Amino acid sequence: MADRIFAYSSSPHVKNPRTTKHIMIDVCIALAPACIMGIVYFGYMAALLLVVSVLSAVASEFIYLLITGKKFKQIIQGFDYTSCVTGLLFAMSIGVQTPIYVPIIGNAFAIIVVKMIFGGTGKNLVNPAVTGRIFAFISFTSVMASGWVAPSIGAILGGSSINPLTGATVLTDGFATPTVASLSNLDLLLGTGLAGCIGETCKIALLIGGVYLVVRKVISPTVPLIYIAVTGLFTVCLCGFDFAEFLPSILSGGLILGAVFMATDYTTSPNTFVGNIVYAVMLGLITAGLRVSSGKEVVSFAILIMNLIVPLIDKFIIPRPFGYKKAKKGGAN
Amino acid sequence: MSIKKGKNYPYGIHVPDRKSLTEDKPIESMLAPEKVYVCMSQHIGAPAIPCVAVGDVVKKGVMVGQASGVISANVFASVSGTVVGIEDIVNALGQKLTYVVIENNHDESQTLFEDMTDFSPASLIERIRLAGIVGLGGAGFPTAVKLSPKSQLDVLIINGAECEPYLNCDYRLMLERTDDIYKGIKYAAAALKINRIIVGIEANKPQAIKAFERFDDLEVVILKKQYPMGSEKHLIYCTTGRKVPCGKMPFDVGVCVQNIKTMIACYEAIDLNKPLTETVITVSGNGVKEPKNLKVPLGTPFNTLVEYCGGLSEQTMKLVAGGPMMGKALVGLNQFTRKTDSGLLCLQREEISLQSATNCINCGMCAKNCPMRLMPMYIESFTLAGDYKNAERYGAMNCIECGSCAFNCPAKRALVQSISLAKVKIKEMKKNG
Repeated sequence: MADRIFAYSSSPHVKNPRTTKHIMIDVCIALAPACIMGIVYFGYMAALLLVVSVLSAVASEFIYLLITGKKFKQIIQGFDYTSCVTGLLFAMSIGVQTPIYVPIIGNAFAIIVVKMIFGGTGKNLVNPAVTGRIFAFISFTSVMASGWVAPSIGAILGGSSINPLTGATVLTDGFATPTVASLSNLDLLLGTGLAGCIGETCKIALLIGGVYLVVRKVISPTVPLIYIAVTGLFTVCLCGFDFAEFLPSILSGGLILGAVFMATDYTTSPNTFVGNIVYAVMLGLITAGLRVSSGKEVVSFAILIMNLIVPLIDKFIIPRPFGYKKAKKGGAN
Repeated sequence: MSIKKGKNYPYGIHVPDRKSLTEDKPIESMLAPEKVYVCMSQHIGAPAIPCVAVGDVVKKGVMVGQASGVISANVFASVSGTVVGIEDIVNALGQKLTYVVIENNHDESQTLFEDMTDFSPASLIERIRLAGIVGLGGAGFPTAVKLSPKSQLDVLIINGAECEPYLNCDYRLMLERTDDIYKGIKYAAAALKINRIIVGIEANKPQAIKAFERFDDLEVVILKKQYPMGSEKHLIYCTTGRKVPCGKMPFDVGVCVQNIKTMIACYEAIDLNKPLTETVITVSGNGVKEPKNLKVPLGTPFNTLVEYCGGLSEQTMKLVAGGPMMGKALVGLNQFTRKTDSGLLCLQREEISLQSATNCINCGMCAKNCPMRLMPMYIESFTLAGDYKNAERYGAMNCIECGSCAFNCPAKRALVQSISLAKVKIKEMKKNG
């Protein structure tokens, strides 16, 4: 018995079995309803884009790790599904008319440049999916921002079944113009009759995913709720206190996808409760402000901007330790 | 009698408590082993100095180690027999300590103190000091020192939270020896000249709460089942609403916190004239065949405990002295029961976490759960970068090492280990100016 060797480590010796991998799988599950609705609305091309996007994201990560000298077995063991989430989010935020090479290039950029070069999971400064999307959008504007396809299911409550706008999800070509109201709020919520990105149109599916994440305690509802509310309210303010703008503004574009799945990304959001509130409020202000002034969909840009400000928020907003009393001069530093 | 609910404290975690293994098992008195290894350093502070020589025949209850200073404690022979060695042994915690080894001659008689005639605070404290009583909850701070604060206190809190998973020794004692605990509490209160006594018990121990209901002069506070409710600072907050300021001690807010086992030791020292020679320990975990609550002489080797409980299973992967959240891992069974021990856990593969650490994903769960409201991820990264100044700025010294951060960390990072390292380094830094 004396020679037996026992495991040795620092306390605690029992731990919550949940790991990063489990969390990322939960996120993938939460994204599933919106993906399925995307496929229902936009057909097999949507499914193809989703699959290609995920595969290219995972492949990019593997190739990077292989080039940097990791063994294939190690990579498999260390694989944590974050690139699957990136791939899914990327495909969900592009239109079904997008050529197949765009997700491949976009994901390669998102994974290799935005994530892996900075040190892999958890070390990236900005959200890979958001940045990858912006990269692709700027690089391939002509093919990504035109030729929007309307979903197979038309608007339920009248309105034209083909969206008169050629932009992504109502917003891109003219926000705060009368055409916004050409679809009812219910249709905006369901995404019926609404041309747009694969995963962005069906808001109800995204919200179901969000509720799943909250129930599984993957995210706290603070950021999405505040972000969505502030965006809506600030839009109302900017449009001359026209409360009819409230619902269309929050149900349009990629706001819900961004608020639930992109703004809540652990790595690129603040670590404290107060910090998260500041972050979400600023996100809402930037989104609404830029939307009204530019007339374009700006959720991903707003998230990118705020991602870069997060380190500052985290630097200045630190919770007070239990029993903290104002430090005497020179005590704290 | 008064029962009330404790104040809510929003930061803490829920740990599967796995107490059912030994919850309903009455405390068994284990036969004294053939040899005991009485450690000279079973408390915080200076080790006791051996005051017997090899070859001496000692009776149970004879002092074998004398306190060497104010923050120190006497150590007594836990069995009668012959001193066969005074040795420096490296134990399974990796500490090299002095042990007095006594070979048992199975003489059941015991040396006792004289009956007390004077029950003044000073003589009560003197008896507690003499009996070598220290905080038996784990810290091992000499109780006599704790009972003689510089300023008058107004509340005595008895810690019956026992929030660590697996452990049941305090719980069993609360059920089986309620009266003895009560008497001990009264002596401690008399020593402190305090009238207000609060017993804090976690809500998952309804029988223990019931047991204490009948005492008119105790306030029973039912605490939410939450980890780490047994932490001194959080216990004080949840029972009295007082916040112990950072870097201060409970006596700064007029509170003294005492452990259940310590109270029994006080009772035995004062009423039964017995020095502290035994302790109650929970031997649990799936790795041991029959988990038990045992009353054992101090210095009993851990392998004797394990054998008494049916031996280790083949699948046992980890041994822990204490609870699974704050206890220390043992490299083997080469360890001997100390005053402060409350558990010996033999854990199997499925009970422990063996995942290796991955990158921090900044999820903030450690900060969200930290009962001290710290940001463990920053303290960790500063520590790993060797930047102890910033680690201190982020409050490393306030850490109580409860393990809430590492418990929930999805990246399985060794947060507690880094923070303990930071604490050591910061102390060194301050010492060197």
